[in-house]
Amino acid sequence: MAPKDDPEKPERFSVTRRSFLKTAGLSSLAAGVTGVAEAEAQTAGARVVGPGDVPVTLTVNGRRVDLRIEPRVTLLDALRTRADLTGNKRVCDRGTCGACTMIVDGRAVYSCSTLAIESQGKQIRTVEGLSTGANLHPVQQAFCDADALMCGFCTPGFVMASVALHEKHPNPTLEQIKRGLDGNICRCGTFTRIIEANQKVRGVARA
Amino acid sequence: MPNFFQGGGRGQQPVEPAPAKYMWPEKDKATLLTTDVKRLDGPDKVAGRARYTYDINRPGMLYGKIVRSPHAHARIVSIDSSAAAKAPGVKAVMNVKEPGAEVMYQGDPVVALAADNEEHAWDAMRLVDVKYDTLPHVATVEQSMAPDAPQAFSGGNTKQGNAEENGTPEDGFKQAAHVVEATYATHVITHNCLETHGTACEWDGDKLTAWVSTQAVHGTKDGFARGLNIPAANVRVITQYMGGGFGSKFGPDSQGIICAKLAKQANAPVKLMLDRKEEHLDTGNRPSATAHIRAGVTSDGKLCAYDAQSWGTGGNSQTSNFPLPYIYNFPNRRRVHKDVYINAGNQRAMRAPGHPQGCFCTEILMDELADRVKMDPVAFRIKNLPDKAPNAMWGEYFEIGAKAFGWEKRHPTGDPTPGPIKNGYGCSAHRWGGGGSGTRAHVDIAADGSVVVKCGTQDLGTGTRTIVALVAAETLGLPVSAIHPEIGDTEYPQSGGSGGSTTAASVSPAIRVTCGKALDALAEKVGPALGVDPTTLVASNGRIQVKDNPSKGMAWKDACKLLGTTPISVDGQWMGGLSSTGTSGVQFSEVDVDMETGIVRIKRILTVQDCGLIIDKLLTESQTYGGIVGSISFALYEDRILDRVTGQMVNPNMEFYMMSGPSDVPKIDIMLMDRPDQRSRGVIGIGEPPTVSTAAAIANAVRNATGVTIRSLPLTPAKILQAIEQEKAGGTL
Repeated sequence: MAPKDDPEKPERFSVTRRSFLKTAGLSSLAAGVTGVAEAEAQTAGARVVGPGDVPVTLTVNGRRVDLRIEPRVTLLDALRTRADLTGNKRVCDRGTCGACTMIVDGRAVYSCSTLAIESQGKQIRTVEGLSTGANLHPVQQAFCDADALMCGFCTPGFVMASVALHEKHPNPTLEQIKRGLDGNICRCGTFTRIIEANQKVRGVARA
Repeated sequence: MPNFFQGGGRGQQPVEPAPAKYMWPEKDKATLLTTDVKRLDGPDKVAGRARYTYDINRPGMLYGKIVRSPHAHARIVSIDSSAAAKAPGVKAVMNVKEPGAEVMYQGDPVVALAADNEEHAWDAMRLVDVKYDTLPHVATVEQSMAPDAPQAFSGGNTKQGNAEENGTPEDGFKQAAHVVEATYATHVITHNCLETHGTACEWDGDKLTAWVSTQAVHGTKDGFARGLNIPAANVRVITQYMGGGFGSKFGPDSQGIICAKLAKQANAPVKLMLDRKEEHLDTGNRPSATAHIRAGVTSDGKLCAYDAQSWGTGGNSQTSNFPLPYIYNFPNRRRVHKDVYINAGNQRAMRAPGHPQGCFCTEILMDELADRVKMDPVAFRIKNLPDKAPNAMWGEYFEIGAKAFGWEKRHPTGDPTPGPIKNGYGCSAHRWGGGGSGTRAHVDIAADGSVVVKCGTQDLGTGTRTIVALVAAETLGLPVSAIHPEIGDTEYPQSGGSGGSTTAASVSPAIRVTCGKALDALAEKVGPALGVDPTTLVASNGRIQVKDNPSKGMAWKDACKLLGTTPISVDGQWMGGLSSTGTSGVQFSEVDVDMETGIVRIKRILTVQDCGLIIDKLLTESQTYGGIVGSISFALYEDRILDRVTGQMVNPNMEFYMMSGPSDVPKIDIMLMDRPDQRSRGVIGIGEPPTVSTAAAIANAVRNATGVTIRSLPLTPAKILQAIEQEKAGGTL
C-alpha cells in the first residue's frame, strides 16, 4: 500500500472531511472485493499513506526536523518520542486538558489531537522555542514571578496557551484571560496565580 | 497505614531536642524565612527543560504496556500471547496473572509487554487473547450491601468495625431539646495526577536504575528490592521532577515491578507510563463515605448526644474509615464503621485522607443543629469546640475569619430576596497533623565557597527543592542562589515519603541542623584566623563574623579559602524542637445558586490557617490556593462514576471526569496565622489542611442560599434542582 510517488519525498498530506467520507464510504463498499488501496486509487485526489513508516518533515521552532513515523503518530508523540522535545506533556491524550498545547501557524492547538503528518509545512512552536538560555519569554517570567506553577506538568501547556493569548490580545482583560486559558487544566490548583501572571505580562507583540 | 496518613502527625516518639544554637531565628533576626522566595526550578519548568519520568528517553528504550481486565470480576481461563510476542517490534511479553486467577476490578493487570515504540506496543496489546469466565460483581455500595447481593469477595462483601464510644448516647438524648437524624455522604474521586503513574527502568547487570514518578524515592527503592527480591543496595531511584501525587504515589506499584521485569527480559531500558484511563482505574482514589447520624442538642445550644453508623468503600480490599464526628465536642457518642467492598480499584491516601469526608458529614449537621436552636452557625460552633490549644485554635480563627469575611451580613437559612439567584454564606473547620521526623542530610562546603546540600527527599510541586536551599541559605547567611540543593535521588541521605504534610517539617530541621554543623566546622577554621573564640562566630549577610561585632569577620569566600584541601563534609539529621505537629484552620465561602438551573457559582473563599513556622510564604500560599481549588472540584465537579450493570468506569478521562478550570476559581483570600505563638512551634506542614474544609463550607453556603439541605456531594446542578423540587413538594432528599 505504499504511495505511488517516491516514498522518500515528503509531501503535504491532507484529508478534507469530504474526501474522508468519500474514501471511507468507498472503502467499506469495496473492502471485500478490491481492497482499500485500489478503492482509494479510484477516487480522485485521495492517496494512501502508510500504514508503515513514512517520511515526515516538520518545522519546529524554526528548525527542520526529519522523521520516519507512521501516519497515525500525533504531533505530540512525534516530537516527544522521536525528537526528544519533551517540554510539552501528554496528560489526557484526547484534547481536553491542554498540557500538550503548541502554537501551529499562530494558533494554539492540542498537539495530542493533531497528526504529525498533517503538520508538515506549518510553523510549529513548542515550549522549548520560547526562550534561549536564561532569558525567559515575558510569559514564562511572569509565571515564575507569580509562582503560577507547582508540580509544573501543566505549565508548558498553560505557558503556550498564554503566549497565544497575548499574541492575539496584548493586554487581555480578565474575561479574555479566562477564555484563553479555559482549555487547560491544572491539578495542583494554581489558577489564581496563572491568571495573576497573565495580568502582569507586558511586552508581547501582537502576532 | 501509618498514623500520619490519618492526620495523626509525626514526631510522637521521644525526640532529642536540637541545641539552642540550631533553633529557628526570631522573626526580626531572620532574613529569608517567611519571605517570598521564588521557586528555584520555576525557570526549568516554564521552559520545558524540567525532565519528568514521563520525559525520560534512553538509548534503545522500549515502551511497556499493560493489558488489563475489562471485567469487574472474572476468572482468567486462558492467556494466549503468542501472536503478540511475534508482532512487529515486540521485545518482551509476560503474564502478570496466570490462568485460574481472579481479576477483582476493571483495570486489574493481566499481561504486560514491551515494544520498540508505542504504536507497536498498542498493536500488540490488541493481539493478546485472554479468555475470562465472568463472575458476579458489585459496582456500588448499595449493591454490595443488599441482602441478596452476590458474594463477590471470599471474606464477605463487608467488614464491620468496632464501636467507638464515649459516654452513653441514650443518656445524652434524654437531655436533648432537638434531635437531627439524617444521612450524609461523600463520593469517590480519583487523584488524577497530571503525570500518570509510571517508571523508566534500566538494568546494568544486576543493578537497577529506576526513574519513578513518586512521592517517596527511598520508599520506592525498598519497594523495588522487595518486589524483585534483590538487595536494596542494587536499586537507585531518581525523581528529579514529578507531576503530582496527592497521596497516590508511594511505591513502585505493580506497574513499576512489571516495568523492571520487562526491562530484564528484553535486556533494554523500558519506560512504562500509564494512560489516563489506567490512572483512573488502578492508581487509587478517595474512598466514599456515608454516615447515618442521630445527634442531639440542648435548648441552650450544647451538643449532648451522637449516634452514628457509617460505611464506605475503599475498593476491593481496602478500608474506608474516616474521623467522625469531626472536631466538635459530642459528649455521649457512639460510632460504628463498616467497610464495604466493591469491584473497583483500591483507594489510596488522598490529600488529607479521611478528613474531607469526616468534615463534610459533621459540618452540614452542625448547620442543621444550629438552625434548630436558632443560633448563628459560627457562634454555635464556638460554643461546642474543644478547649483552645496551640493545635486547636478554631474559636479564635472563627472570630478573625468572620470579621474579615463580613459574616454579620449573612442572612438566616434561605435567601429571602426575590429572583432566581440566591446568595449564601457557609463556614467549616478542619485540623491536620503534619509534623516531622527522621530525615537526614549532607552538606559539602568547598574552598571556593560553593555549598552543596543533599537530601533524599523529593519535590512534588510543593517546593521542597526551594525549601532546602532557603533553609541552608538562612543558616549559612548566604543568598538562596549560593546554594546547590540536590534532592530526588536515593544516592542522597534517607528522607521519608512526602505524605501527611510532613515533608517541610522533616526536611527543614534536617537542613537546619546539618548546615549548623557545617557552620561550626567552618568557624573552627575562621576563629583562629581572626583570633577569636569560634563559638562567638555567626554567619550573616555573606560573612562569618563575631556576633554583635560585624567588623570582626571575613567574607564567606575568604572564610572558605581557609579550608584549603579539606572541604567541609558533614552529615546531620532532623532533631526535635524545630518542628511540631497539629494545625487548625477555618474557612468561609460565599456562593450564588441559580434556582432555575441548579448551577453553583462560588464567589469567594476565605481561609484562616496556621502551619507553624512558614518557611517560604509564596510557596505556602500556593499550597493553600491549591488545596482550596482541589476541594472546589470535590464539592462541585469530580465524581468517579461506575456503571451499575458492568462495573466499568463511565468517565475514565478528563472530559467527563470534570475538574475545576480557570473560570471556576473564585476570589480566594488567605489569612496565614504567622504569629509568635504559632511560629514558635516550628515547622508543621501545609499540604493537606486547606483542602479539608472547602467542600463543607461551600455546601453550607448552598444550604444558606437555597434553604434546602443537600447532604451529599457532589453538588451537581441536577442534584440541586431535584432537592429544590423535593423541598417544594414538602419532602427532603
